[in-house]
Amino acid sequence: MPLPIPPRTPTPPPDDEDQPVGLGVAGAPHSYNPDALSPTSATFPSRGFGSLADPTPPLSARSPLSSAGLESPYGSLSDAVDSATPASGSENGRNPFNFQTQQYTLGGKSPAKSVCPSIIKSSPTVASSYINHQHFPVPRCSHRPPPRPQIQTQQHLSPNLPRATPRPPLQLPASLPIPTFKEFRHSMTADQKYRALWCFGHLLVAGYVQASAHGSMAMTALSHLLFYDTIGAFVCVAVDVGGNFEVWKRSTIKHPFGLQRAEVLAGMAMAVTLLFMGLDLLSHGLQHSLENVGGHESHHPDSDTHHERISPGEVDIAALAAIVSTLVSALLLKNHARMGKVLRLAPIAALPSVLSNPSHFLTLSCSALLLLLPLLSVQSYVWLDRLLAFSIAACMVGLGWRLGWTLGKMLMMSYSSPSSSASGVEAVLAELRADPAVAELEEAKFWQVNYGLCQANLRVRCRGAGDEEAGRLRERIASLVRNRLGGAYGGGLGVRWEVSTQLSLERE
Amino acid sequence: MKARSRARGESDLGRPAVKTNHNHGNGLPPVAEAYHHHDHAHGEKQSRLTKYLLDRCHTGSILHSILLEKDSRRIAYFAVLNLAFMLVQFFYGFASGSLGLLTDSIHMLFDCAGLAVGLAAAVMSKWPSNTRYPYGYGKIDTLSGFANGIFLMLVSVEIVFDAFERLSHGHELKRLNELLIVSILGFLVNIVGLTAFGHAHHGHGHSHGHDHGHSHGHAHDSPSHNHGHSHDRSHKHTHSHSPSAHSPAPFTSAATPTAPSPPAHAHHHHDNENMQGIFLHILADALGSVAVIISTLLTKFYGWSGWDPLASCIIAILIFFSAWPLVKSSGAKLMLSLPADVEFSVKETLQEISGLRGVVGYSVPRFWLQDPGVAHADAHEHEHKHGHGHDHGHGHGHGCENEGHERQQKVLGVIHISAARTADLEDVRERAAQFLKGRGMDVVVHLEREGDRRCWCGIGVKGS
Repeated sequence: MPLPIPPRTPTPPPDDEDQPVGLGVAGAPHSYNPDALSPTSATFPSRGFGSLADPTPPLSARSPLSSAGLESPYGSLSDAVDSATPASGSENGRNPFNFQTQQYTLGGKSPAKSVCPSIIKSSPTVASSYINHQHFPVPRCSHRPPPRPQIQTQQHLSPNLPRATPRPPLQLPASLPIPTFKEFRHSMTADQKYRALWCFGHLLVAGYVQASAHGSMAMTALSHLLFYDTIGAFVCVAVDVGGNFEVWKRSTIKHPFGLQRAEVLAGMAMAVTLLFMGLDLLSHGLQHSLENVGGHESHHPDSDTHHERISPGEVDIAALAAIVSTLVSALLLKNHARMGKVLRLAPIAALPSVLSNPSHFLTLSCSALLLLLPLLSVQSYVWLDRLLAFSIAACMVGLGWRLGWTLGKMLMMSYSSPSSSASGVEAVLAELRADPAVAELEEAKFWQVNYGLCQANLRVRCRGAGDEEAGRLRERIASLVRNRLGGAYGGGLGVRWEVSTQLSLERE
Repeated sequence: MKARSRARGESDLGRPAVKTNHNHGNGLPPVAEAYHHHDHAHGEKQSRLTKYLLDRCHTGSILHSILLEKDSRRIAYFAVLNLAFMLVQFFYGFASGSLGLLTDSIHMLFDCAGLAVGLAAAVMSKWPSNTRYPYGYGKIDTLSGFANGIFLMLVSVEIVFDAFERLSHGHELKRLNELLIVSILGFLVNIVGLTAFGHAHHGHGHSHGHDHGHSHGHAHDSPSHNHGHSHDRSHKHTHSHSPSAHSPAPFTSAATPTAPSPPAHAHHHHDNENMQGIFLHILADALGSVAVIISTLLTKFYGWSGWDPLASCIIAILIFFSAWPLVKSSGAKLMLSLPADVEFSVKETLQEISGLRGVVGYSVPRFWLQDPGVAHADAHEHEHKHGHGHDHGHGHGHGCENEGHERQQKVLGVIHISAARTADLEDVRERAAQFLKGRGMDVVVHLEREGDRRCWCGIGVKGS
């Protein structure tokens, strides 16, 4: 393991540096970071190309230095210019360049095709790795800093470029830091701050309803629902604030889809919360009814309230407050809006805006019923209270389960179209297979990343050789997927589809 | 130990039960196959009961598939135990009119429901992928772990609220003896569960430790532990690796100890969040029972009713903080974020991609890790299909040891590459795909012509 360090010290013969004339130069110019020229960086190309070249192992020119043979010295000794290996490397390293220039001057596609299968494929390996060794050991890097890959591009660009001009290195997608809570808080705009404040208001309402429940099970259930809504509101604000940061939306290597998928995760957590609250209500309710049915001495506070109901005024205020806060959250914060988008329950989907969202529907109908409760007689009140509480709890469990399942599917990298076209994916696949240009659909993966983004990754073998034809097929696939599954393109309801197609030509 | 771990490895190979059965004939020499088969059929240390049940039930039935896997088997047994206990409790409570017993049986019922969900997750996670779930069901384990973690955190919050309420209302514990008996019984049941799951959730018996508090210590232990074995194993069984399959390993280990390439990342401790979640759940229950026992005893002796809320609060805090790591790790997985080491090697690979001849640029590189279960099934199938030929999946020493833990997970993903105007698209695609494959990355390579701006990824716009 610690092998690479010692060989570093001998700097390579400087004359080597000029040897691969037009090829090495291109790598040098830009402001490269010498620290990057650690053994790691130098070794990688050879490794990469080694494995790349692998599919054609029986190649005669290459066999003596097949990747195993070539790489191990490079790997362990890194870029120390060893007497033996570089020599062989340089010999082989020249060849490929000839080929390459040839390929370039010819320019056309077909000659390149005919040349490349064997030699070109393998030889740049040697060449590029060799060049790297020539060039980069010079800077002082006896210590080994964590290799910064950014710079490596320059190194191999040179031999491989079809064009003669050096090009700027390809940028890696920047890695973006995850904001800390402090940054998070400071990034809030005024609008977002007001929203957050309102969330606390919502919380207060929930607390008030809870406090004024006095053992009314339906009120307790309503307060649970309100707590759930409050959490939803907080999540809404948090997601909104998260959008202030670039890491939220932009894809990095660490987070391939940004942090946006956290929304789904938060939704999942909320579904679990709903489930939990429902179960909690159920178990408490069962407990209470057991206590009463069993005829045991039950707890004092409870036994009283069951027979003496809450004053109508209090219930009214609580229920009204619940309705108002729910509406405010729904309209201002768009609370639960995302979930409403993915989870549309058929019976209530037709209802007007806010009511069509299952969570709001539940809260609103529950508080409306509570408004009516005090009008009833004492006896029926007790029973209705209990009935209402149990049905709310059951609804919460059911909704939580449905929501959890729906979001869980998304988290399990699945795609299911939210509305009518249930077999959308199958239809698309069938149509693709029917396409005359498609020889075989090797792989087709449709999945949803987050609320607004889906991916379709396909591997298609296509007939016909032409470039343009392939391009057209690719476009056709993309538009097919978008039209069939995307809903209104760019519309509020539609999701964006990222369609990627790996086309391989089937040559007869 | 070695032999045992090998046996374990073998039997684990047979994990996707139905599928592998007919794969076995392909590549292994007869002896190995017999060994393999034997192990596959009768697991590592199945009890007599399991064997009996396995013999009784249909191959391919749900029950069979539950019993075949160690994880699901454990969950199932414990769920049955739980259910039985609940029923006994319920009937006894009903007969004697004991409220405490009845209440506790409700609790048990919910526990059983949780276990059932966990069991379903454990079974489903082995299902093969289909059109609907293109990447398999592997994530359901993580999902279940995540949900369990959230659930536990909520439970702890609720316990704290309850405690405060009780404190403020001056609620008194009643029927102390009954409570004591119930909680001791519950504690015993949960202890059984803990011992069963404790082993399941640490390195699957590799690193024995009865201190269930430190899951991390053990987990870190087991990879290093496995290193040797797995090397040994994979060499024995999958003989000829092509050079490319091999090369990354010596390289990374020699040059960058900190940064293994994707095929060789080592530390993904206890991948199975499902089991971890269930374990934590049982742990929480056991702790709850302990709290009740202690507080009842204290109340009995000292007569202060504040013990119970106090004990509940402490327990709640413990539960909360033990659930947090689970939520975090499973959340990160569900977010598809890459662990640091994989991220690093993916970056390297990207650098090298841009060095491929004919590649002008790339965009929207999106990579994520394959689920361990699927990775295994895949690699396994692959291995057999290719007759031990060039098998990029295996052979880096982290082969399929340790039941899905150190198994090599491929990096999946998609990348758009724009090819030079003069290059042959087909050729570039072929090479890029091969290159990525060599790095243990199963990536859809979407190739475009340089300057073609039609794609959504915006390659053409950015380039040139």
